[in-house]
Amino acid sequence: MSKKPVKGEYIETDTGNKVSRRSQIIGTTNIILGGKTVIQAEVIIRGDLLRTYPPSNPSEKQGNPVAVAIGRYCFFSRGCELRPPGKLYRGTFSHYPLKIADHVFVGPGSIVEAALIGSHVHIGSNAVVGKFVIIKDFVRILDGAVVPPNMVIPSFSIVAGRPARVVGEIAEGEIEGFDLREVYRSVGNA
Amino acid sequence: MAEFKPYTYFQCPCTDTSFSTRRRIGDSGPSSEEETDEDERTFDPRAPRANYSLYPLEHLLYCEDCHQIRCPRCVLDEIVCWYCPNCLFEVPSSSVKSEGNRCTRSCFQCPICTAPLSISSTESPPEGLGAEYVAQSGPYVLNCAYCLWSSKEIGIQLEKPNSIYAQLAKIKNGGEPYISPKERRRIREERKGDGEESQGSEMTLDPNEKLDAESQFANLKAFYQEQLAESSPASALGFTGDYGYGSPGALSRIMGLYTGSSFGDKKSKSRSSMMREAQSALEGLQISSPSASEESIARLRASGWEGTCSTAQRLAQAHNPRFVSDLRPIAHLLRTKRSKRCKTCRHILSKPESKVQNTRFRIRLVAPNYVPRIAIRPLQPGPAAPQALLLTPLRPTQFVLTFSNPLFDDVRVSIATPAKTPGRFGSRVTILCPQFEVGANTDVWDEALREGGAGAGKGGEREKRRTKAEASEGQQQAEAGKVWERGRNWVSVVVEVVPAVLKVGEEEKKDEKEEEEEQEEEEGGGSRYAGPLREDEDILEIPVFVRVEWEADVAQDEGAGLAAANNKDNKEEKEKRELAYWCVLGVGRIARD
Repeated sequence: MSKKPVKGEYIETDTGNKVSRRSQIIGTTNIILGGKTVIQAEVIIRGDLLRTYPPSNPSEKQGNPVAVAIGRYCFFSRGCELRPPGKLYRGTFSHYPLKIADHVFVGPGSIVEAALIGSHVHIGSNAVVGKFVIIKDFVRILDGAVVPPNMVIPSFSIVAGRPARVVGEIAEGEIEGFDLREVYRSVGNA
Repeated sequence: MAEFKPYTYFQCPCTDTSFSTRRRIGDSGPSSEEETDEDERTFDPRAPRANYSLYPLEHLLYCEDCHQIRCPRCVLDEIVCWYCPNCLFEVPSSSVKSEGNRCTRSCFQCPICTAPLSISSTESPPEGLGAEYVAQSGPYVLNCAYCLWSSKEIGIQLEKPNSIYAQLAKIKNGGEPYISPKERRRIREERKGDGEESQGSEMTLDPNEKLDAESQFANLKAFYQEQLAESSPASALGFTGDYGYGSPGALSRIMGLYTGSSFGDKKSKSRSSMMREAQSALEGLQISSPSASEESIARLRASGWEGTCSTAQRLAQAHNPRFVSDLRPIAHLLRTKRSKRCKTCRHILSKPESKVQNTRFRIRLVAPNYVPRIAIRPLQPGPAAPQALLLTPLRPTQFVLTFSNPLFDDVRVSIATPAKTPGRFGSRVTILCPQFEVGANTDVWDEALREGGAGAGKGGEREKRRTKAEASEGQQQAEAGKVWERGRNWVSVVVEVVPAVLKVGEEEKKDEKEEEEEQEEEEGGGSRYAGPLREDEDILEIPVFVRVEWEADVAQDEGAGLAAANNKDNKEEKEKRELAYWCVLGVGRIARD
């Protein structure tokens, strides 16, 4: 990470990530940021929760282990938390990587323990995304929703409630609204 | 009070109901008398039906052939494919027809809370060295990770961790085997083939057993079909299938209906033979026992309120259970991908890729690409506190409406509003600049290049104007007849609003009857203002009629290909286009005194 001489709210990396100085990112070596991602203050990312269960294919293991992989143009609002999901499998407890694709917005105060989040996903404020949830592309999770563990949310769904269920569909014209490039540009480094 | 976000809703022109509904409802009384002329009428966003025709712009489509906005009410849906929302496997339409619209793999929802169920073994996991290589064995149960319900609670354990749908179909709550209607048919046919006396098959059907509704129906249906076949052998061929209209027997009968000849006579004679009624459970007869209701009362006593299921839980089940212990895991309902057609011209407006996982669209004609978007913001940057965002009655407040043009041609926009908003509390509305032109949505680079070159013609001028507007922001002076701000493909104009007073008693004396009624209400209610004020009546909604005119390139248009071919010599041929519609601007809440 290259530090700019002027100390602003965000540390800007070479690939355009803006990471707040007041965020808590643990296990940075196990986190991949795709670029142009904004991480606001008080965000917690648990990169230390690594997979301990040996992979089924031993030849696969090479290079750095990844706990959290994040794509481009993602936006993590103040106070949200990303943690890789964990479960007991064949007698041993292990965490599994959390993968997030591009243009994913996570609202303030939300907790995400999903296994996979597709592109163009909007998660509202104070939502909980349970363990091993799979969210496909173009999904909107409304404020305060609690997505139960292991749920699969198909594309073009609007999800709300406790436990969350699909309450609507994304209309064709709403697709452009998920693009976060404008949001990224609007983030200044004061 | 929830925070208020300004909104814009567009009315789809397919439902022009503003006139007919106006008369029926009382609260728009004052305006209904003056506006009898068709052209003069305004759209009332508070009319009960208005809700059904107002949509955010993103929910609307646009038909390129009709040159008209299309809403979910004026499009036709066509199913492209079915898929399970949980396992995301596509289900062919043939199996949707035969198996019903539920996932037949292993996707189940918790009957208590609708969260997805996961399968796990009841055996304790193996421990020690090499434990991870030991294969786990059953029995398995379905678990809900949200409410911790388990299929053990209804006494269901499974042998295999896969094809749960097929396994569940053979188990009753409590673990006893369940004979599905299909299975019953198979056994019945087997027995018929072997002759009555052969009881060799492993499953025998008890003539006195208690049947569930589905099996009973299946049994009854089979029995009466058999009876029909026996009583009218001529049409026997026809009724073995479902309805059998295509069979020769049925055909001759239908022919007989029309000709009235000997076709029909034969049948009516053979019909006259007596038909037997069902006699046992095998034939679908269920004798209702008088103790059944007593039993359920006793059960209710034992299990209490906790043991009964909620209406929502009951509705999700096919067999209408009363008790929690009767609930069964719910197989996931299938979801569809749909394409949309214009109801008028049948052209496709939206067509998704047929693959389940693919999120692209082959055709997508959405309104935001054709209709100017309207954004509202207060002219004075308001204080941050949500309470302070309320509009003060009788204090003129100015809002900026920003029209952004998605089209590649310059458009002329004229907007109009009624001087007073419809409804009981008429707020005065003035648009300072009702007619203006919005530039084309050209390439973003054009603007960047133009603005980069210092003082380059038009761009520089626009820039100047904008800075002027910014400079004058201190005084907040909006001139009438002038555009407030202007950009590449957007224009802002100022609207001045004088919010009404939300006092029911001081409502104008136009409609005295109504007023009296309301005063009565008022005296009855405790609070003077809160009582008669209806829900969301304090929101200031402005109906705006927008007319957009532009000259489109005929040649560019795909639909007008023929016309373009005719005018090939004349390439600069332009076509006048016009689009007019009602919008509703939700501006803000008016303070209650």
